[in-house]
Amino acid sequence: MAQERFAGVVERFTSGFNGAAAAVSPEVATQWQEELDRNVRRMSNLARLSTAPEPKTGQTPRQEIYKRNKSRLYRYPSSRTHSTPILFVPNLGISRPYIFDLLPGGSFVEHMTREGFDFYLLDWGVFGPEDNDLTFEDCVVKILPRMAAKVLESSGASELTVLGYCMGAPLSASFVASHPEIPVRNFINMAGPIDFSQIGLFGLWLDRKHFDVDRFVDTLGSVPADLVKAGFKLLKPTMDLSTNLNLWWNAWNDKYVEGFTALNKWANEYVAFPGEFFRQWVRDFYQGNKLFRGELVFGGRPVRLQNIQCPVFVVGAKEDYIAPPACVRALIDAVSSREKDYVELPGGHISLIAGRGAALHCWPKVSGWLAPRSGDKS
Amino acid sequence: MSDPTTQLFDTWRRQLEESTQAWTKLVGQVSPAAAPADPMAFWRPVLNQGLEAWARMFAQTPASPDLAAQWKQFLDQWIEAWSRVLGQAMNTEGFAQMMGRSLEQMLAAQAPVKKAGEQALDQLLVSLNLASRSQLTGVAKQIVELEERMERVEDGVQAILRRLDAKERP
Repeated sequence: MAQERFAGVVERFTSGFNGAAAAVSPEVATQWQEELDRNVRRMSNLARLSTAPEPKTGQTPRQEIYKRNKSRLYRYPSSRTHSTPILFVPNLGISRPYIFDLLPGGSFVEHMTREGFDFYLLDWGVFGPEDNDLTFEDCVVKILPRMAAKVLESSGASELTVLGYCMGAPLSASFVASHPEIPVRNFINMAGPIDFSQIGLFGLWLDRKHFDVDRFVDTLGSVPADLVKAGFKLLKPTMDLSTNLNLWWNAWNDKYVEGFTALNKWANEYVAFPGEFFRQWVRDFYQGNKLFRGELVFGGRPVRLQNIQCPVFVVGAKEDYIAPPACVRALIDAVSSREKDYVELPGGHISLIAGRGAALHCWPKVSGWLAPRSGDKS
Repeated sequence: MSDPTTQLFDTWRRQLEESTQAWTKLVGQVSPAAAPADPMAFWRPVLNQGLEAWARMFAQTPASPDLAAQWKQFLDQWIEAWSRVLGQAMNTEGFAQMMGRSLEQMLAAQAPVKKAGEQALDQLLVSLNLASRSQLTGVAKQIVELEERMERVEDGVQAILRRLDAKERP
């Protein structure tokens, strides 16, 4: 029974300790000394953490190219060795986009500009009650085409690459699939859900059997940031525990603490959803899986993924529980592109794009795939 | 050197064993008659599973003299085991139903309170001769619409200019 197993665990743990204590070798003594030193550094770093000023995030230089209501389009200057600009479309609501430019040396934006890409970031902004009527369709039909036009105008290029992350991927896939007149040279989906029948926990919780989205939106008007936070925390209830445990364990390391402070600031800054956007997002995507089934019609235009013919690159994360790899990979079979590649990288939904693992696995893969398909600036 | 530490560790072990016994006894009590009203009914098997999963994982780990690392590993595995078990529990129709019901109750309780609160606040602001929240939201919406209209006009002008440019070219 559980009780006996637990007693076994305790026995094993203590006998390991007793064995070690009985014969303390010089190596072990050194190890203990090191641990003691680390503890002193841990204490001093943790004490500093509580009084430290807010970390400076989003330090890569940028210019605001265009603004519309709450949304902004930023250009990050680069040496521009590739002629095709990138329009980066992140998620709307949930979190702020500075995760892509967290700290110098740990920034996706910085990596892409260093690789010579003309990089444009769409910041959807923080919506208020006056935006509750904004729908998913509005974003696809009104905002994204304008952002793409502004990118082409600002860069002077004739084609662009569209890169969608998380919810930004279905948003931009819907846009690319329904706007054949926009010259999209490449399309990249990073951890963006496409086949919602394989979405996992959120799909089950938001199933129409259990979740009445109309009643929800009609009552609350929008989805407040606190509720967004609660939903994501519930998805992985032990996350805060392991985050704090890892902080304590690595608190002796100044570099880790610096990264933690910035990431922690981002991780606790949730953004509300406009009510109508959420209604359409849940009803058409989570409950109806209409994008994958080809049943969406936005602005009178059918949204069919098979209309996407440009080269497509899809990146899934092995431990992604927000957009599991299978539901991300589905784009590969849905498009009619001749050139299409899929990679599944280690990490979760966030660590795919931010942090040391991302710099090692994901960013070079994306820039490496894109470089030969982005033309030379000559 | 090890005597006082070992004694301390033994005390900790005894305490852990005793509290575990008490805890396991407590969560192991099942009363069939009270089952439908028992709020722990859903979580009890989850707790047992979590404990067993963690015990299994820990039993497979070799003991190490590096106590700090061993302790960290112990906690990591504990969290991992619980995460796995909670993940399984939450990935069930029963949990989704329970969540749906809780949300329904929250909305049912919140709707009248929210409406009454908004009405009271609006009345207060009107009596103070100030713009209400809904009026301000209305003005903000109008500004957003105006911005959209201006953009449409701008698009139209741009299109005309492009056409004129094309005509002027030889």
